[in-house]
Amino acid sequence: MTIEMFEKPLGMRDDFPLIAKQKADLKKQGTHLIEHGGYELLQTPTLEYYETIGKISAISDDALFKLLDNQGKTLVLRPDMTSPIARVAASKLLREKMPIRLGYYSNVFRAQKREGGRPAEFEQMGVELIGDDSLYADAEVISLAWDILKELGVGSARTVIGHTRLLELILADFGLDAEQSGKVRELFVAKNGVGVEQLAKKLPIPENKLASFLKLMQATTVADWKRWINEENEEQRELYHDMERLEGLLGRNGLGDAITFDISFSSHMTYYTGLVFEFYGAGSGFPLGSGGRYDGLMEQFGLQVGATGFGLRVDRLLESVTAEKTEQPHTLILFDEQSEQNAFDKAQQIRNSGKRVTLQYAPAVKALEPFTALFTEVITGEELHNG
Amino acid sequence: MDELTIAMPKGRIFEEAYELLVGAGYDLPKELDDSRKLIVEAPNEKFRFILAKPMDVPTYVEHGVADIGIAGKDVLLEHDRDVHELLDLGISACYIATAGLPDTEMDEVTPRIATKYPAVASHYYRSKGEQVEIIELNGSIELAPLIGLSDRIVDIVSTGRTLKDNGLVEYEKIADITSRLIANPVSYRLKQQRITELVDKLREQVER
Repeated sequence: MTIEMFEKPLGMRDDFPLIAKQKADLKKQGTHLIEHGGYELLQTPTLEYYETIGKISAISDDALFKLLDNQGKTLVLRPDMTSPIARVAASKLLREKMPIRLGYYSNVFRAQKREGGRPAEFEQMGVELIGDDSLYADAEVISLAWDILKELGVGSARTVIGHTRLLELILADFGLDAEQSGKVRELFVAKNGVGVEQLAKKLPIPENKLASFLKLMQATTVADWKRWINEENEEQRELYHDMERLEGLLGRNGLGDAITFDISFSSHMTYYTGLVFEFYGAGSGFPLGSGGRYDGLMEQFGLQVGATGFGLRVDRLLESVTAEKTEQPHTLILFDEQSEQNAFDKAQQIRNSGKRVTLQYAPAVKALEPFTALFTEVITGEELHNG
Repeated sequence: MDELTIAMPKGRIFEEAYELLVGAGYDLPKELDDSRKLIVEAPNEKFRFILAKPMDVPTYVEHGVADIGIAGKDVLLEHDRDVHELLDLGISACYIATAGLPDTEMDEVTPRIATKYPAVASHYYRSKGEQVEIIELNGSIELAPLIGLSDRIVDIVSTGRTLKDNGLVEYEKIADITSRLIANPVSYRLKQQRITELVDKLREQVER
């Protein structure tokens, strides 16, 4: 009986050589920039406890792959990298070295409900800057992500920036309680304009402020945000001032025209407490990556420190990056019993010069023509004999 | 000016949406729908229309092959897609309701519900705490109670004519439906100025 060839668990994929190669190149370029930015790469386990990482990760419960270990404890396949890294950073080993800069390139797992083709396992690369609650840390991670997008050649890249805390304060000023502003934020996450308009009618927003409330989703610059800032509220004033400085910092790093400051921008990842951002580019219909400040998450690990970071999705970057089709030289040496020694020497020689060589015993190839077509150069045993 | 790809459902919604766009001052070719073409260009406005099955519009938009689209709220409720719902166009108004033969009680153990909207129906009965068996059909839902396939149906009601002609009555209303302008989250950011302008112009039309 032959095994059913195409059966794979829902959302799991084989990466054929071409994609595997593209991913390897992308990893090389990305991690190079991450390391040069002063970040150290690390790996965390694929399996984590459901009780810790599973619950903290802010990935919805039904998207987690759960399994039991031999002692009956529930485990999860890691659904994100931010929470494991927060756990690592909170460990004794690193606690004293704050601020720390950690980077990663890892696969994460999220179960898919729809369309079997959607990946349930995908690679992410990103960084976490832990132990620095300044604006400069935020600017640093956004700029680094931006540099990676530029280096990879993502077309018409754009980033959208919002501020979770400032939005919370502004919504409170419209007279909303925590539950109501939670509902509004949910609609903001989905940019459901119709839903916001319908909900607004049921909320205790004063008549004269309604128009201003409905404009929340339309801001694109920091200056646009000013109309909602309550000058008498010190926290709002300071956060707004921070945003102005951030705009300046990022402008200097070359992001100027490519940022949309959208006060209503929120993330479904509930652990973000301050700045939140997302990246987009031509070629992919889905966001390329996102990030933000998550001081609250560190608190859950018993640390009162600031933390910020981003993660980019490798599968979507691949869609967005126009792959270079330059063919690398690849030599095939076909040998037989007589030319075996010569072939081996020749291969070694070419490999030492930095090129790829495939050594193949000629009689084992059934269809010679389609096989040799895969290579840029072919050397046969006869040629080796004579030369 | 960025080119905008717009996914539109064929048929009645298309005509109403076309009127709205023309009313909003967009210069569109006269004969858009009466060809069998699936892709129609409006070069003067740099629009490209994709004519699709209504159920598929949110799919095209979610994957970003269409920047924006016009989709019924019924489809959006049924398929929970990652799209931005920007504007209620107020066209093709109708509602989703339950219906069945007059003066009938639902089966006490597990009533059967025939519908084209299994997710909506399932969510509705679950929220009422009723256990039901959902039977998915692709059309002529009204047939189901007549031939004893189901106790109730969950379907779109616009005038109520079809129900009446088949001797069925409406029981409960589930949700009001109109057509919505939806956008792909990435397109919304990369072409925000154009899309916002379109939303504003259409809003003026809708509110008139």
